[in-house]
Amino acid sequence: MNYKASQMSQSKKPDADASRSKKIRQKRIGDQLRRLYDDVTNEPVPDEFLSLLEQADKSSKQK
Amino acid sequence: MDDQAFKTELAELIPHLRAFARSLCGNATAADDLAQEAMLKAWKARASYQAGTNLKAWTFTILRNLFYSEKRRSWRRQQLDPEVAEATLVSNDNPSSAIELLSLRNALDELPEDQREALILVGAGGLSYEETAEICGCAIGTIKSRVSRARKAITEILESKMSGLTGNDSLSAADAFEDIMRQADELSRDLPADA
Repeated sequence: MNYKASQMSQSKKPDADASRSKKIRQKRIGDQLRRLYDDVTNEPVPDEFLSLLEQADKSSKQK
Repeated sequence: MDDQAFKTELAELIPHLRAFARSLCGNATAADDLAQEAMLKAWKARASYQAGTNLKAWTFTILRNLFYSEKRRSWRRQQLDPEVAEATLVSNDNPSSAIELLSLRNALDELPEDQREALILVGAGGLSYEETAEICGCAIGTIKSRVSRARKAITEILESKMSGLTGNDSLSAADAFEDIMRQADELSRDLPADA
């Protein structure tokens, strides 16, 4: 690569790099946002929820 | 829809009610309280649910109304609980990603409530703009603009934290670690073939 060519590629690079790294960061934030949510949906549901729902169902049947 | 079918579908939504509640409350115990109340309220209101419409959006609306109508309740969002922070760190195989998740949580805390909620429903909960608009009781365009403002703000908050790290003497070990790991991660990320 001659001097001029290497200069040209250098002058182009920062923009492309910046936009690529911006995309990477935004994708990463998106992935992490989903993880915050999925970490909770993947937890086992505490028994209390289902027993409360059963209770509510039973008492509504009695009425 | 008969009671049995409604109960089954409602039970399947519990993980989502918990996740949405967690994003509003920031504290796991308070969030489960809120999610339980919302679940029971949905059960009681089952007669007013129209079969064939979106049950997830319907229950989320109930949960959200409950959250905003009872402002005095303990489940109002608080600063991230240190215990939650610790649990996130300990339970995670990858410490750098755990720290990143915490940074994101903290950044979310800095957003206005309406933007945070829109971003979480669309960006994390996978709800459509339309469903989110229904849940929040506003126009689709409003949700779109809240999500886009929230995305921009989150990026700026996280970036200002990163740039604030350089030349700062009081840089904590965790922050330094995060900074280094993030840079390493970006460098090692698969680059597209044409890059």
